[in-house]
Amino acid sequence: MRLNNKFTGWYLLVMLVVLLIGGAIVYYEIQWKIGSVEVARHQRLNDLIAQQIRTGGNYADHPTRKRATVTLIPEDSVPANLSSFYTRGTGWNPEYQANEYRLVVTSFYQINGRTYRVSTYSFIPSFGQLLPGVVDSFKWILLLLLVLVGISGRLISKYILAPFKHTLRVIESFELKQKQTLRLPPTRTDEFRQLNSFLQRMTDKALEDYQSLKEFTENASHELQTPTAIIRGKLELLMESDIRDDQAVLIAEMQNALEKLSRIHSSLTLLTKLENYEYQDQEPICFSQSAKEALDSFEELIEMKALILTTRMEKDVFLPMPSSLADLLLNNLVSNAIRHNQPGGMINVQLSRAGLVISNTGMPPETPTDELFERFKKGNPGSDSIGIGLAIVRQICDLHGFPIVYEFRDGRHILAVSFIQSVAASKLLQNVDRSLYTEA
Amino acid sequence: MMKILIIEDHLELARNIQDFLAREGYVCELCHTADAAREKLALFRYDCVLLDIGLPDGNGILLLDNIRSEDPQCNVLIISAKNALDDKIKGLEKGADDYLTKPFHLAELHARIRAIYRRKNLEGANIVRFHEISLNTDTLEARVGDRLLDTTRKEFDLLLYFLVNKNRVLSRQSIAAHLWGDYTDNLANFDFVYQHVKNLRRKINSAGGTDYISTVYGLGYKLKET
Repeated sequence: MRLNNKFTGWYLLVMLVVLLIGGAIVYYEIQWKIGSVEVARHQRLNDLIAQQIRTGGNYADHPTRKRATVTLIPEDSVPANLSSFYTRGTGWNPEYQANEYRLVVTSFYQINGRTYRVSTYSFIPSFGQLLPGVVDSFKWILLLLLVLVGISGRLISKYILAPFKHTLRVIESFELKQKQTLRLPPTRTDEFRQLNSFLQRMTDKALEDYQSLKEFTENASHELQTPTAIIRGKLELLMESDIRDDQAVLIAEMQNALEKLSRIHSSLTLLTKLENYEYQDQEPICFSQSAKEALDSFEELIEMKALILTTRMEKDVFLPMPSSLADLLLNNLVSNAIRHNQPGGMINVQLSRAGLVISNTGMPPETPTDELFERFKKGNPGSDSIGIGLAIVRQICDLHGFPIVYEFRDGRHILAVSFIQSVAASKLLQNVDRSLYTEA
Repeated sequence: MMKILIIEDHLELARNIQDFLAREGYVCELCHTADAAREKLALFRYDCVLLDIGLPDGNGILLLDNIRSEDPQCNVLIISAKNALDDKIKGLEKGADDYLTKPFHLAELHARIRAIYRRKNLEGANIVRFHEISLNTDTLEARVGDRLLDTTRKEFDLLLYFLVNKNRVLSRQSIAAHLWGDYTDNLANFDFVYQHVKNLRRKINSAGGTDYISTVYGLGYKLKET
């Protein structure tokens, strides 16, 4: 829901409540005012009649007596502490021959030692008669407010929120890689100014961090690779000198460790690079082609391990990712499927527009399959690998928003990558299961 | 005899390279800064320049222009610890012949230098010989005497690697890196190296060739004169 709609909505709700209460107040105020004016008028009329009685004479046809009743009453029937009272209610109107809402004012007078009760009445609008008028006028007010608030809400919010929207646009187009600081327009609104300066500080910090991280990665890579290269070179030279067998074994072990060190290092550097990689719009590449090439390059290894490779690959699966990352993804997945296989086992590769599923036979993993995506986690702790291949795979998938899942079932390792962000990778497994067993 | 200029700021690494290549009969000169390199390039002619990108007094890529203007025929191999793709592309665009990422195996470096050399010098240089074994690097044909060997691409690469680095111990790591490149967390499964070497030896034997490849205990393999 848009901000201004929210504001308008709440504003209208408050207005509705105010109008309801206001309507009631107005209604009762009018009612009371009409009543009090009428009562005052009748009291004056009653006073006038009393004056006439005091002077004596016949006033029976006088206009003041038209709606008046004058009664002589015993002195003790005068209510205590009361000189006048009024009542309201429906009464018979002889002029219209109908019941109407009537106000009766009764006053008591002591004239020449006698007590008179004078009551006069008139017809006033009843509650029911006033109500439709009040409701009607408030209906119109409400309608007018609705229209005005609706229109002005839209216009005003457009004006007030303009700097906010601008900020949003600027942030959306902000990219760390471009190394450009955020440029936000000045605004007079305090909150927006606060927001802008916060964003400015945050992005500046992020830029700085990004830069230093990048520098660190590059420096680390440079500074560590060179000594490794030196050691490796020395070992190679040593290897060619006249050495005994037991020395050769020592050298070989050093070389193994060195190899591992250099591989861990370059993998970590790569992971860091991937983590700082910003996904940019990318020309789609033919993933089918990449997959075919990856499988071809491992053909000999597959043969050597006497593995049976079955594939079902759709042609022309295009994905918007850099081809270097596609190769890395495929190489890691396929080499895993080969390495963790058993001699004479099988590898099944299925590629479609929905995703990629690679399954292979192999020993059950000793760690839960989910954890194998983490760095330095290995299914088999004794193995030669450094346990970073799947971390790289997941990083690449995360970058492109591909869900990925790894399962072990019925003696098969199944790794599924969904190419559609909204479709869970496990969905692919359901489709695969059937075909897997019909083919096998 | 090849003359090689090694532009590398790490003394030890430069000396490694020098030691290794000296045994091949190459003449190597060392320099550790871009300035020194400019001077040498202006005064002497080299067949090949090994160029480190990260030099204390400037980016090595800038030196490429110098090299190209002094001697367009000179081969340039960039050796860099920066495995940054843009550096690689920039270097190759600027006229470098190859790009090797540290840490590399010296045998690999040698194989690369030979490969560049073969590409540039066409007069019969595409044939690599060792006794009765000859490899044609253009057609990728391996022969023992007159008999054509039925080798796969990997086996051919392996044999070429042996021939170029003859009389040297080649570690299994070095062979694996040469054959499969530097895939991250790659298949450093030395069984594969063993398999390839075994197949290769079998093929050479059955073609009537001498088995020059021998196992060096604990370390790897060696192609040597019997």
